Amino acid sequence: MKRLFVFTVAVASLAACTSSTSENVEKKPATVTLLAYDAFTPEEGIFDEFTNDTGITVKVITGGDSGVLVSKAILTAGNPEGDVLWGVDNTMLSRAEQASLLTSYEPVNTGDICINADKEWFANSDVPIPTRLEDLVLPQYRGLLVTQDPVASSPGLGFLLGTIAHFGEGKWQTFWEALKGHVHIAPDWTTAYTVDFSGSSGNGKYPLVVSYGSSPPAEVLYADPSNPITEPTTSVIESTCFRQTEYVGVMRGSANSPAAETLVKYLLGKRFQESMPLSLFVFPVNKEAVLPDLFVKFAVRAKNPLTVSPQDIEGNREKWLNEWRAILL
Amino acid sequence: MAERVESNTAMTTRRLLSFLPVGFVAVFLVLPFLNTVATFFSVSTSRDVLSDPSILRILWFSLWQAVLSVLATMIFAIPATWALSRFQFPGARLCRGLLTTPFVLPSIVVAAGVLAISQRTGVISILWAHVVFNVAVVLRIVSPRWALLNPRYEESAATLGASPWQTFAHIMWPNIRSAVNSAAALVFTYCFTSFGVISIVGGFSRRTIETEIFTQSVRLGNTDVAITLAVLQMVVVLLVFQISRPSPLQTTSTHVSSAPIPLHTKPRGRWIVLVSVVVPVIVVALPLVATLIRSISYRGRLSFHAWSSVLGGTLPQLTVSTWRVIVTSLLFSLATAILAVALALIAAQQMGRQWFHYAEQHRILRFVTSLPLVVSAATLGLGIVITYNTDPFAWRSHTWLIPVVHALIALPVAIRILEPAVQAIPPSLRVGAALLGASPWHTWLRIDIALLRPALLRSVGISAAISLGEFGVTSFLTRSNSTTLTMAISQLLGRPGALTQQSGYVLASLLIVLTMGVTSRA
Repeated sequence: MKRLFVFTVAVASLAACTSSTSENVEKKPATVTLLAYDAFTPEEGIFDEFTNDTGITVKVITGGDSGVLVSKAILTAGNPEGDVLWGVDNTMLSRAEQASLLTSYEPVNTGDICINADKEWFANSDVPIPTRLEDLVLPQYRGLLVTQDPVASSPGLGFLLGTIAHFGEGKWQTFWEALKGHVHIAPDWTTAYTVDFSGSSGNGKYPLVVSYGSSPPAEVLYADPSNPITEPTTSVIESTCFRQTEYVGVMRGSANSPAAETLVKYLLGKRFQESMPLSLFVFPVNKEAVLPDLFVKFAVRAKNPLTVSPQDIEGNREKWLNEWRAILL
Repeated sequence: MAERVESNTAMTTRRLLSFLPVGFVAVFLVLPFLNTVATFFSVSTSRDVLSDPSILRILWFSLWQAVLSVLATMIFAIPATWALSRFQFPGARLCRGLLTTPFVLPSIVVAAGVLAISQRTGVISILWAHVVFNVAVVLRIVSPRWALLNPRYEESAATLGASPWQTFAHIMWPNIRSAVNSAAALVFTYCFTSFGVISIVGGFSRRTIETEIFTQSVRLGNTDVAITLAVLQMVVVLLVFQISRPSPLQTTSTHVSSAPIPLHTKPRGRWIVLVSVVVPVIVVALPLVATLIRSISYRGRLSFHAWSSVLGGTLPQLTVSTWRVIVTSLLFSLATAILAVALALIAAQQMGRQWFHYAEQHRILRFVTSLPLVVSAATLGLGIVITYNTDPFAWRSHTWLIPVVHALIALPVAIRILEPAVQAIPPSLRVGAALLGASPWHTWLRIDIALLRPALLRSVGISAAISLGEFGVTSFLTRSNSTTLTMAISQLLGRPGALTQQSGYVLASLLIVLTMGVTSRA
């Protein structure tokens, strides 16, 4: 008898629960899913304000590095895992366009891939920090640079594209032929910056490394607390900067595109854009966004960056990579 | 009458159970793989790929580096396994833990450790990193077999005037051969399909089939080329398994389990035992030590700030706390261990029944449960994404998929640990129990499970550890709020800033300690 009573209560409360959820569904507490790469680490609580204002909850899901993320999304274009995609950059934009991956998209941030220099190393040597790509083949700068394999690494690809933009089609090969044997190729950013580069944690051999225009402020913000620094130990060589642009857009097949568009608007708005420099270490595209001091002082956004159009990148990537490999091997 | 009904039910249950491991692999691996092949495979592309000289060079390099890696691993692993399974000495458990731990560390950690010491990319660094990862495999698979071999045979041989080499060749080798073969095949497969190690310590000129699959599918968008390479890789690995298949006529009669000999009783050749352990431990542990050193030093200065901040719960630049990351990893590894070991036990018991009319069934079971070793991580990841994306099978973004995939990867290893132990149970014990009136269930519980306890614990440990360290397929799955230790480490090491970098090494050190805890118990 008692058991029956418990059972009845349980069923009744279960029914109550179900009915209350279905009521909630009718009130539409919409959820929009933001699909991003693993390194997407926005400021904590950044979407709270958005949810308060619009009633839309944001669910962030991550799916590998940007290459894996976009490849997966392209393979299942039209049947997306999320509503909004964060992380197609200019090296992959054309591939995304060909697959009609996004119904609409806009640039959301920019970052420059540039050579960083170990200031201390150069202060203790006879040579000044180089200022142009051409300097790198001069005898005094030979063997000082570590870059990444452009096949496997996105900064490595950015640097190669930068040299193609700077020297031009048909001439960039001469530069790399001169550099051959005098440049160290690391497999990825982590190895190049934290093992081979002399200016960061690894204490390596190479005082020049391909990294980002925003690496110096990160060195200051996340310095060892027992050795706080007010100035970065590294500097950026502005003329070597290749412009990387990331896009955000509504995924084709999203079941929730009005809410998705609202979220995209928020991501492009002042509040979110101002949070990006110190959480994602990229520059805002919104002109109204005010840069934090650390960025104003130490980050570099090149005035005349090196660029290659997404169509040219897509059309030539494999050919360029094979040529590069043939030169360097 | 009642008994007969029960045994009929038991038989039906057993038949149904026997489908579970095969069904599991079929759903989460065979189907996604076949779907990928069906979607992207093209005959003309594969003709081009297979006649491309640069692809043949990649195949050749993949093969010879894997063969050298197996030899290098055996040179360090066999003496260490012999010493650790034969002798008892203070610190033996620590040595076992140190040798086993790297197997599950993220390749970025081991590779960075190897690079920090060797300072150069290339074949030597590849071999070293592969030895570091794979000594554990040999130790885990060969050691139980070796421990079962009665030392009295060796003593008798020695008394009768056999040289140590003769004793090894005639007494030990015939008994451990099948275990060594099985370990070698596994190590070959891991090295042949190795991704992280090759891409980090190999340098840009060193490409293998697996790294090329990733490049073609992810970087260049040539899924058709990637699929041809995946099939090629699969054929090679299956051939290796075919060659190294254990012979059905195994000697299982010589085992009389005996306790390891304490070293302080001064057996002959005591120093050989110590050297056999110490040298491999140094080779394997050096990259781990490099990790620890990097967690407490920054540019030559000692600094414990990263430790105190990580233990205080915060990970610089990441939005998850240390505890959350550790709990997520432990939950995944627990779920993986339960699932993988349950399935492996079913499979091992099926294979353990050496009845002639089951031979065909065993072959299928063995083949299917080996497949997770064969299919490339990138292909499996993409396969799941393109296969399970529509209701009611829209599983690709579900969190439970992560431990399921981990269990898939752990299954072949768990089976290889359990199978010899199941075969070693004398059938007479089961018959005896049945004659004394024990029900099949009772016999199973009191005899099989009781005798399998050490092997079960070992396979739980290794499955949990595989889950802790898995990065390949996991990085292809979509996740929400489920950052694991391995992922957090690679995120931290992927960003500038002294504190961030050091915190990455602190987490890696925690992972080392955690894994040693998980694997040295069992």
